[in-house]
Amino acid sequence: MSFLSSLFKPKLGAPLVIVSGLPRSGTSMMMKMLEAGGLPIMTDSIRTADIDNPKGYYEYERVKDLEKEADKSYIKEGRGKVLKVISFLLKDLPDDNAYKIIFMRRDLNEVIASQNKMIKHRGETDESDDRMMIDAYMNHLAAVRILSRKRPNFEMVEIRYDTTVKDPKEAARQVNVFLGGTLNEKAMGEMVDADLYRNKKGATV
Amino acid sequence: MFGFGKTVSVKIDKDLHARVTKVADVAGYATAEEFIQHILEKEMLHFEDTKNDADIRAKLKGLGYIS
Repeated sequence: MSFLSSLFKPKLGAPLVIVSGLPRSGTSMMMKMLEAGGLPIMTDSIRTADIDNPKGYYEYERVKDLEKEADKSYIKEGRGKVLKVISFLLKDLPDDNAYKIIFMRRDLNEVIASQNKMIKHRGETDESDDRMMIDAYMNHLAAVRILSRKRPNFEMVEIRYDTTVKDPKEAARQVNVFLGGTLNEKAMGEMVDADLYRNKKGATV
Repeated sequence: MFGFGKTVSVKIDKDLHARVTKVADVAGYATAEEFIQHILEKEMLHFEDTKNDADIRAKLKGLGYIS
């Protein structure tokens, strides 16, 4: 049975695989793993690799407007493919698709440290307080979990960034089980580059 | 405290209930239920507070993840 047919739901079609999480929590790494595993990626390659994501972002630019844009019919084009949607925009995904969400989790101190570096690289100003942002993110993550249980077309698995880097084979296995078991786990595991785990807890920010 | 609104029963661990009752008494709440309701209302504000969203939205804009 193919990946698509094994996950096919009559009314909503083949599910979109969504890679989500807070920015800087390993979403691009997971996109790369899924691509290596054999899933087609929905990306426009507009945002190219840079110092913060040397292996690319795997984004679809239009998704950034999900909150504002009324016409979300283009999301359907991602059925059977992988699309990256940051956690804040999961609430804005239209209900006429089924979603299998791989939600990346990372220590929030590491997330904030990495985000702050990225903001600096982008030349943006940011006066937010780190402690306050961690509180806001903790509440946001709880809200995402509630959302994933409330929406009948959402199915979500949480994958930790640090354990993926430590044991890519096991992470690949978990993801493959969640998606129906047809992916190339070996290739997925080989895509994980531990050298990119740069903002570790306790490291200088 | 509960006003005229409808209430529902919620089951919690016995030991936790005993601890809650003790603290509610010391803190001056009329009942453990009143204390629990107060705590839950406070916690719910975290999830319902839209200021949180504004902080996150500003950060994500700076990072280039939302427009």
